[in-house]
Amino acid sequence: MTDFLDTFLDDYFAECDEHLTAVRRTLLALESSIGRSRPDPTITEELFRAFHSLKGIAGMVEHREIEMLAHEMETYLRAVREGEVRLTTAGVDRLMDAARLLEHSIAARRQGEQPIDIEPALAELRQISPDEEDSPPSSALPAPDSPAASWQCLFTPSPELIARGINVDVVRARLREQGDIISALPVVGDGGAIAFRFVFEGNPEIAERDAWVADGMVCSKIDDAAPVAVSTVVGERSAATLSSANHVRVDLARLDDLMRMIGDLVIRRARLGDAIARVESLVPSTDWRGIQENMSALERQLRELREGVMRVRLVPVAEMFRRVPFVVRDLARETGKRVTVDVSGEATEIDKFLVERMLDPVLHVVRNAVSHGLEGVDERIAAGKSPEGTLTLTAAAAGEMVTIQIADDGRGIDTARVIARARVAGLAIPAHVDEAAILELISSPGFSTRDASDRVSGRGFGMAVVRTRVQELGGAISLASTPGQGTRFTFDLPLTLAITDALIARVGGETFAVPQASVREVIEINTGGIHALETGELIQYRGAPVPIVRLSDALAIPVRPATRLHAFIVNAAGAPIALVVDRVVGQREIVVRTTSDPLIRVDGIAGATDLGDGRAVLILDVAALARQARRTRGIVPVRETA
Amino acid sequence: MVKASLAALSGPCEFVEASSGLEAIERLALGPIELMVLDLNMPDMHGLEVLGFVRSHSKYRQVPVIILTTRGDDASRAAALEAGATAYMTKPFAPGTLATKAQELLEPGSR
Repeated sequence: MTDFLDTFLDDYFAECDEHLTAVRRTLLALESSIGRSRPDPTITEELFRAFHSLKGIAGMVEHREIEMLAHEMETYLRAVREGEVRLTTAGVDRLMDAARLLEHSIAARRQGEQPIDIEPALAELRQISPDEEDSPPSSALPAPDSPAASWQCLFTPSPELIARGINVDVVRARLREQGDIISALPVVGDGGAIAFRFVFEGNPEIAERDAWVADGMVCSKIDDAAPVAVSTVVGERSAATLSSANHVRVDLARLDDLMRMIGDLVIRRARLGDAIARVESLVPSTDWRGIQENMSALERQLRELREGVMRVRLVPVAEMFRRVPFVVRDLARETGKRVTVDVSGEATEIDKFLVERMLDPVLHVVRNAVSHGLEGVDERIAAGKSPEGTLTLTAAAAGEMVTIQIADDGRGIDTARVIARARVAGLAIPAHVDEAAILELISSPGFSTRDASDRVSGRGFGMAVVRTRVQELGGAISLASTPGQGTRFTFDLPLTLAITDALIARVGGETFAVPQASVREVIEINTGGIHALETGELIQYRGAPVPIVRLSDALAIPVRPATRLHAFIVNAAGAPIALVVDRVVGQREIVVRTTSDPLIRVDGIAGATDLGDGRAVLILDVAALARQARRTRGIVPVRETA
Repeated sequence: MVKASLAALSGPCEFVEASSGLEAIERLALGPIELMVLDLNMPDMHGLEVLGFVRSHSKYRQVPVIILTTRGDDASRAAALEAGATAYMTKPFAPGTLATKAQELLEPGSR
């Protein structure tokens, strides 16, 4: 019975999460409707659905706080929808506060903590809602003054218009200036001619509309009674209208199990391959070909299976990015700054596990950008910038890596101040402080740019934790900052953690695996071409000197001297570095077992794998090795840890 | 990059570039377009939506469309071909392969 209840509660929490995500997303959209007589019905409907479902499921598990909060939120929203009250900033703020309480209350219940006091929030919501008894029937209301209306604009392109520089993108930009575009679709008109139908909300001026006609744009007002068909929306809002009817919710642990089983299969196949190779001489060559064909088919199918399961684990980065505007909005209000958030690449897919692990680091960097990076309105105007700061979030996938960038157009990192702070914190300052060195300094434990009283940095989640988290995930961070122009943090993360392609290399008697995604190129070097300098060794690579790191030195492995060696060219904080091994022996699909135990965790080793012969092979953490090399070269010395 | 690799095509060719899905459709409408090279990732529409529209229009049903994408998996390829793609190429590709494919589609029977 308890089991049943637990499962039931798990489902309840999962469902709450879903509705909360919808609420968060939609509330932000609702904000743009402030001041209008009636907000976009698609937005209010979605909110309604979410509140209503929350109320219903909370009732089933007797979660009173949620039930009552959702009820009051619904009441206010209904009044807004019916036009009884006008949507105000205060109203949206109350809804957002209440949404946050919903979240906390659900978290408290999940952790088995004391219920949260919701009375003040309920009282506030009741205050802005009309009294239920004397609310007038909506039809008796006076007509709202100049509301934003829905418009349709039909644009028919022609060669003449193109010659005048008027194309569909120009039209779209014009309409965007006049209001919010709801949908943009190509349509086929009479005689098969192609036109574009835009539906937008706004108040285009008559003069403007008349001028548009000459540019092939014909606007007409849409009757309110005929709601816009949102299901056919393309582009502008398609992400929000994805139906969830065909989706199945799966516990992540089950997917982990599945991935582990596939990992075992990959290892088993490798062993089988080795075993078969050993008997090659005993098999007639005609039979051998059959075996080979089957083996390669098996390998290919295993890879497809792995990719299939991996795809199941992928979720759009939007899951993470959606939280950002909320955080920014709160912080901007607290600090009196004006910030717009620009998001691109939300549809980029990333492992669910990564989303969960990266959320805090991303939010931390976002908070830093808003509270330290972006300037206040006055300072921006004085610097000749627009009063509104911009925070840009970008996600993009390239091969087996995903890149997430967080950029602001603020004042940039003040190098002198970082150095002063680092000195106070007792960190050693390198002779030449570049962006990589700054990153190193601000990611050192104990470093802080503000006093402890600062609310944002006082959360115990500093850049040090951000960096550790990214490294644990097999990723890398880099930093670019221009004084007066802004700061950009880049996270490069592996698309998935469990299985990856690797290059296998030998050093002395040892074998190592190097994740292929971190390798830019494999080269052969002649030991005669290595130049020894005081601070280390260099080779010429593509016409430029590149520092080399001998793995035999870095990991203290005895090797015999050789005249020809292999090297991996890898990126270390933006600059190439050559990791020298004895020989690269091949390429394999490896199953990554991370070394999470701090006792056996060594900087430079990302984990271990089994190549199929039962022996554990260490996986190199290329970024950490490169970082180590920079340190020992004295470029970025670190604080003594004694 | 795409344009550069197509420059290798034999014979005189004119290239028209579009920076969004709607613009691609506009360019097609104002034609004549003999071959379309379509990226799946565009700011406003998904490449397959553009392709879907092109294929649903009787006038443009015959225009060969090459889909370019970074996604090389079989499911994405199958989805593109089902939507009516004439050819499907995974980025990064060797410059010569795109030109060869384009040549093939522009002059059927030339090889």
